[in-house]
Amino acid sequence: MKNLGRTIRRETWYILFLVPGVLLFAFAVIAPFVAGVRYSFTNWDGVSRKLSYIGLDNYVNAFQDADLWTVLGNTFKYAIILTILVNVVAILLALLLDSYLPMRNLFRTVFFLPGVISVVLAGFIWSYNYSQGFPKLLSSFGLDVTSPLGNPDQALIGLIIIAVWQGVGTPMIIYIAGLQNIPVELTESARIDGAGPFRVFRSVTLPLLGPSVTINMLLVLTGSLKVFDLVYVTTNGGPGFATEVISTFIYKNAFSSFKAGYGMALSMIFFVILVVVTVVQVSIFRKREVEV
Amino acid sequence: MKITRALVLAVISVAAVVFLFPLYVALLMALKTAKQTFDSFYALPPSLNLSNFSHAWETSDYPTAFLNSLIVTGLSVVLILVVSALSGYAIARGNKPIYTFFFMLFLSGMMVPFQVTMLPLYQLGKTFDLLNNYWGIVVIYGGFGVQSGVLFFTGFVRGVSREIEEAARIDGCSTPGIFIRIIMPLLKPVTATVLVLNALYIWNDFLLPLLYLQEKAYRTIPLQQYFFFGQYSSDLNLAFAYAVMGLIPIIVFFLFMQRFIVKGIAAGAVKG
Repeated sequence: MKNLGRTIRRETWYILFLVPGVLLFAFAVIAPFVAGVRYSFTNWDGVSRKLSYIGLDNYVNAFQDADLWTVLGNTFKYAIILTILVNVVAILLALLLDSYLPMRNLFRTVFFLPGVISVVLAGFIWSYNYSQGFPKLLSSFGLDVTSPLGNPDQALIGLIIIAVWQGVGTPMIIYIAGLQNIPVELTESARIDGAGPFRVFRSVTLPLLGPSVTINMLLVLTGSLKVFDLVYVTTNGGPGFATEVISTFIYKNAFSSFKAGYGMALSMIFFVILVVVTVVQVSIFRKREVEV
Repeated sequence: MKITRALVLAVISVAAVVFLFPLYVALLMALKTAKQTFDSFYALPPSLNLSNFSHAWETSDYPTAFLNSLIVTGLSVVLILVVSALSGYAIARGNKPIYTFFFMLFLSGMMVPFQVTMLPLYQLGKTFDLLNNYWGIVVIYGGFGVQSGVLFFTGFVRGVSREIEEAARIDGCSTPGIFIRIIMPLLKPVTATVLVLNALYIWNDFLLPLLYLQEKAYRTIPLQQYFFFGQYSSDLNLAFAYAVMGLIPIIVFFLFMQRFIVKGIAAGAVKG
């Protein structure tokens, strides 16, 4: 009997411990999410008190909205190129830093440093470098360049370069940790068997790095599909519609164009896309991983 | 072998210079006058001149923005740590299905992108009078941070042996007593991880302050910078002095906490 009382008391404490976390989470995530689902079925403008339910109209309109497809195209182009570039650069840097090298930690600090700067600052510094710094530097070599951010064909690439600069630090650290988990004997024996450095990397290191590749691909891809700050502060979707991504598109619909209901429907579509991308990606990469 | 090493060093040094170049240009701009920049873009200033900084300091409300960032980040991180540690402990030790359910709920919450909740959050903020004060934004950051926080703390507590706890319980120690006296001192490593990851994110966050802290007196550094850059786009040297001032706190934090940040990221990757 005494034991039972003690168990109940213990469980009560556990529940009490859980309450603040659940409340905060419910307030900041669940309640807005449920409200968002509700708004997505209305014609609400985001300001007035009035709103009426219009069924699936927002969703039907969204799929017929040519702008949405352009925006999704931009978003995926940005995210896929960025994901590949960041991971390639991060693996290269990790491989170089994994070897015995003087000032290894200093280099690691340098490559991570841009990642701790706020995106507002990074965007500002780069906009200026693009428009003044690089052209002045390159003109001394006889090259004539203008800011890519002002050119509809190059603006997205211009943003991707900024994002690579800021984004390689975290994946690099994850790759370095992954490389340190690979037993030296494996790469050594491959080398003794006559494999060159590239062969060792392709046949031994890369497969064993599988879990790090999975997590990095996933983190960078989902992160870059959600990109907002960088676009908002540097190009704000321009020039024209060249860098409009899904997040800025949703933001403008929800806050500037008085189409809040429509904006919420867009964000629900985006949510579903994100879930699908995550599930597909995890299942593809998990299958290819090798156990050590 | 020696040649390879020299080659690696050369390649990585070039990469490092490329990475630092934009920051170098920013610093250069901040230290020069408009005329000096015009005369020779890449030359170092003839003498150390901090007038851009003092001018930026006077015109920008930098101390206010700094204090706002500090208060918002500090309060949010403390809230996240306390709440996640409590929840994580309960989930790790309770063995009813309901705890697993909440764990999965926190986990799936991380899938919801901010874009989905931003407009309702703004509405929520207006309704509950959470805009333009510290508490509103802190509560929202708390709700965001608790999701990954619970993940970290639950994982960590699960790895801690129950034996000491059981012994303390037999000696008559209550659950809160066990948590405070036995568990909390063990949580230091995971606390450091959750602290640095959230501090970096919140300090640099732009979107939530854009929604919640529009009023000048409450703007954090990134938001204040955004407005400042828009306002002083003609006086670039001044704007860059302000940019460099904004860089200093986060770089100092990073350099001091680097060890924990690196560990935290590696730990986070394993969790994922």
